[in-house]
Amino acid sequence: MTRIVEIPTSFDDRAMDQFAAAFGTWPADERLLFDARATTWVSPYGFVAMLTAAQAVAEGKGEPPILYLPASEDVRRYWARVGFLRHAPELFEVHGKVPRAATGPSDTLLEVTPIRGSDDVHEVVGRVQEGASRILTELGLEVKATMGFSMALSESCQNIVEHAGTSGWVAVQAYDWRRRIGTRVVVIAVSDAGIGFRRSLEPTQAKRFGDRWSDATALEAAWIQNVSRFRDPGRGQGLAGIKRYLSRWDGKITIRSGTARLANVPHWDREDVPMTEQLPFFPGSQVQVILPAQAPR
Amino acid sequence: MIQTICLGHVLREAVTTPYRNLVTRPTGAAVRGRIERTMRDSGCHVALLDFSEVELLDLSCADEIVAKLLLLSAFDSDRYVVLWGLHEDQVEAIDHVLNHHRLAVAARTAGSTTLGVLGALDPDGREAFACVADRGPLEAGRVAEALAWAEERAVRTLRALAARRLVRARGEAFHPILVA
Repeated sequence: MTRIVEIPTSFDDRAMDQFAAAFGTWPADERLLFDARATTWVSPYGFVAMLTAAQAVAEGKGEPPILYLPASEDVRRYWARVGFLRHAPELFEVHGKVPRAATGPSDTLLEVTPIRGSDDVHEVVGRVQEGASRILTELGLEVKATMGFSMALSESCQNIVEHAGTSGWVAVQAYDWRRRIGTRVVVIAVSDAGIGFRRSLEPTQAKRFGDRWSDATALEAAWIQNVSRFRDPGRGQGLAGIKRYLSRWDGKITIRSGTARLANVPHWDREDVPMTEQLPFFPGSQVQVILPAQAPR
Repeated sequence: MIQTICLGHVLREAVTTPYRNLVTRPTGAAVRGRIERTMRDSGCHVALLDFSEVELLDLSCADEIVAKLLLLSAFDSDRYVVLWGLHEDQVEAIDHVLNHHRLAVAARTAGSTTLGVLGALDPDGREAFACVADRGPLEAGRVAEALAWAEERAVRTLRALAARRLVRARGEAFHPILVA
């Protein structure tokens, strides 16, 4: 038997719950078929989420999911350009014509990239630093914001290395969000198929929360109280640093782990809520950082 | 003796990367290990950590290098650390982690000609530090006079600075770290 997972037509963070719900239970007891034939657009968050799902299947010794590529050649070319199709064949049985990745100027600051260890974090931060100044200047941000942006990227990726217990994925891209918030943004999307915040913090925090211990309270403990699974008192500062950076530059973060999702809610996205619980389960943790342009262009 | 340690060089030795970014905890720990070895081998009392060739310093690395170096040097009564050539964002990262640990360090930012303090230090401590750094070795009475303080306040503040390795106490006088 095969279970069909429809890839949302427009797959960004808002469509994540629809994507997660399509799996039914984890681990899936049927072979999965990711059907992206009708998909027209995927954000960095969507790309890393798809790879994370397939990675979780592989790590659970499941059969590689089938992936039907988008029907549109333009969309497939875009998938190639952002690097998704370079990694998909490692985790999916890919069906559909795979175009060669186009070269040339692009708003992709960082293609979809695996994070397996500290060396990858160095590589990712270095590559983003090279292009970040140009794009962040376009967004009306001071040069100073570039360093903070790279710091936020570094700390987000390190969460995978330090806490996930497995590898993960990152992608960074700038694009227009005119319809959604009326401006350009740059987005960092980081995802892993690891143990998630609740299991990571359980040994040190669960007792303190008692019956309230859950994916949501684990996220709260990490984000609000800056707790870490390590007893080293210097730990837990990465998220605190990201928080400070986002508050200065009016940015947004969402962290989804297990069945809960936490968000800071900037003034430009009042439709979102700080905490959502009882979501469809999805493995590991997914972090998205959004930095909007500071002035209308 | 003052030993200048160029963190750009140490980074290149510790990690195979073409970039000049001090990021990740393992990198920070490796760099700190090399700094400690250099300090031990040279027998220096003051380590001047030069950040001018470093581009990015993330919080994890700031914690692993600066905060842990200070925490470890707390057990060595005659070892001092001074940071040099810091960019603004590096100052912020270091200040953040040091405040978290209630630590403080003497530092000079890129383009500045004076030594300041990063991290957790009360206003009296900052004033007394600036006074000693500016006017050379001073006894508590001279500091009290310069700052229009009661002598007891100056003594208390200077002793606290010495205990935190921000000035050096020698006899009755308090010396700036870099000329002590």
